[in-house]
Amino acid sequence: MATRRLLLAYLLVAPVVIWRLSTSVYPFLRTFYLSFFDNSPVRRTFDYIGLENYIALTKDTNVTQSLSFTFFFVTVSVTLQIVLGLGIAQLLNRKFRLRTLARTVNLLPWAIAPIVTGAAAVWAFNQDYGLVNDIIWRISGERPLWLVNVTNARFAVTLTDTWKNTPFLAVIFLSGLQGIPTELYEAAKIDGSDGIRSYWYITLPLLLPLIVSMAIFITIFRVLSFEIVYALTGGGPGSATSLLSYVVYLQGFRVLNFGYASAVAMLLFAIVLVVGILGFGLLRQSWNRL
Amino acid sequence: MNTHRLRRLGGTLLFYLFLLLFLLVVLLPIYYIFLTAFAPGDKLFTKPLSYLPQSFAFDRFHAVFTGLPILRYMFNTFFLATISTVLALAASLLAAYALARLSFPGANLVLVGLLASSMLPGSSTVIPLFQLYQRFQLMDTLHGLLLLYGSGLLPVTVWVLVSFLRQVPIEVEDAAKVDGASFFPMLWHIILPVIRPGIATMFLINFIGGWNEFFIPLVFARGPSAKVITMALSEAQLIGSSTQFYADWGNMAAVAILATIPVFIITFLFQRQIVEGITNGVFK
Repeated sequence: MATRRLLLAYLLVAPVVIWRLSTSVYPFLRTFYLSFFDNSPVRRTFDYIGLENYIALTKDTNVTQSLSFTFFFVTVSVTLQIVLGLGIAQLLNRKFRLRTLARTVNLLPWAIAPIVTGAAAVWAFNQDYGLVNDIIWRISGERPLWLVNVTNARFAVTLTDTWKNTPFLAVIFLSGLQGIPTELYEAAKIDGSDGIRSYWYITLPLLLPLIVSMAIFITIFRVLSFEIVYALTGGGPGSATSLLSYVVYLQGFRVLNFGYASAVAMLLFAIVLVVGILGFGLLRQSWNRL
Repeated sequence: MNTHRLRRLGGTLLFYLFLLLFLLVVLLPIYYIFLTAFAPGDKLFTKPLSYLPQSFAFDRFHAVFTGLPILRYMFNTFFLATISTVLALAASLLAAYALARLSFPGANLVLVGLLASSMLPGSSTVIPLFQLYQRFQLMDTLHGLLLLYGSGLLPVTVWVLVSFLRQVPIEVEDAAKVDGASFFPMLWHIILPVIRPGIATMFLINFIGGWNEFFIPLVFARGPSAKVITMALSEAQLIGSSTQFYADWGNMAAVAILATIPVFIITFLFQRQIVEGITNGVFK
């Protein structure tokens, strides 16, 4: 009987395990292996070259520029998303007519495909006929250039990403707010604390672990982003708005440099790993504070 | 008393101001995609923009339906999103049952391994997969894509289902065992009905994710037989490239509408379940 039970258990987990091993774990290990090779179907090469791909990485401006943009993108987008996400959650937590409708509207940017958002953003940031410049022009009379100027292109990608992904965070924060017992606020009211003070001393500290864990989560997602850059800027001007996933795509499927692309992919993985480990440490601290 | 009232009024006013601003920022760009898709070509380029529709035209939709195999793309998209979700849910349910109910050596390894494998970025697995797919003739095939679409769903789906199953009281099953029901009927008739709401919300979330997928088909679907709707965005711009500049944007907006309407309908119909699904994925 016990062996039958055991056999059943292994049979039941087998599909998932085999599926993941073949489409995720094995290809990942193979990427690591390939990163030590000069492997290109165009040049018909498959030669072991040791660390040469990794050495080439450090000198590749596409990679170094991607790293610098990743840093900018993550910092600005994650900060904006957390601040705006908390704000939107606060708005949607209040009682008003049509609240359900407003909550549905909040979900719309989340539901749109990232690639559609990116494609629409090209149009929105068009200098002469774009929505963004039309509004800026009505206010200030200026029509800034977005996608050909390094700083502006970086903001264009970051703002598009923020528009698309803040609603997700707002949903999470909203459910965090709903989990805070109302008695806490009533007690604060008796003590004479007003809205902003009770937000600062009650709401934020209670939400802190959630904020930290979501910050880690969305940081990793930003590092891995692909579609918005692919559609909106193609990494340009130059490679000012390139991200590492995009470099992997270009090197792997446009240049067909499999070995080198694999090395870039491993760098990307290393960054995700470091963010994950650092983040986990931070998370434990924020729990301990509670 | 008076100042207190005034402050409350000010607060309410401020609240509605922010709410309006928020709704505007979300809705205006979406509204503008619709306006672009339905505008007759020559009405697209006004400076400043006109925000009210002057006349409706379907010529952009006509152009993309005649210029591209849009229906085929939409069928592929629907097929991939639906079937990959069903397959992933089925496989995950089996695994989750074993992990939640049958303690066996290696159970923790499977759970933690799944979580760890979900951290592997797609771009760090894509190159060997591409080579494998070429070797085994899986490129441009729907079943090849299904395998990859479904794979990405497994870790979170298993984790969420395990936490659902742990909430199902074990007595429910014992009663079934007394009746002599064998494993699969028991799973189908006893367990599934109990966790059905949870499964339905996960189905919705995963369907939307599958419908919106772009990176996987970009790499693994190069012929029309397996292409999906999100890939038609850039193709739509090339239809009228020799004629007018405006047609490109109008065409793209039309494809954007076609790609977005289904997920918007789902969002409006199932707002509550989607929110539940999102939070389940994060909190469980």
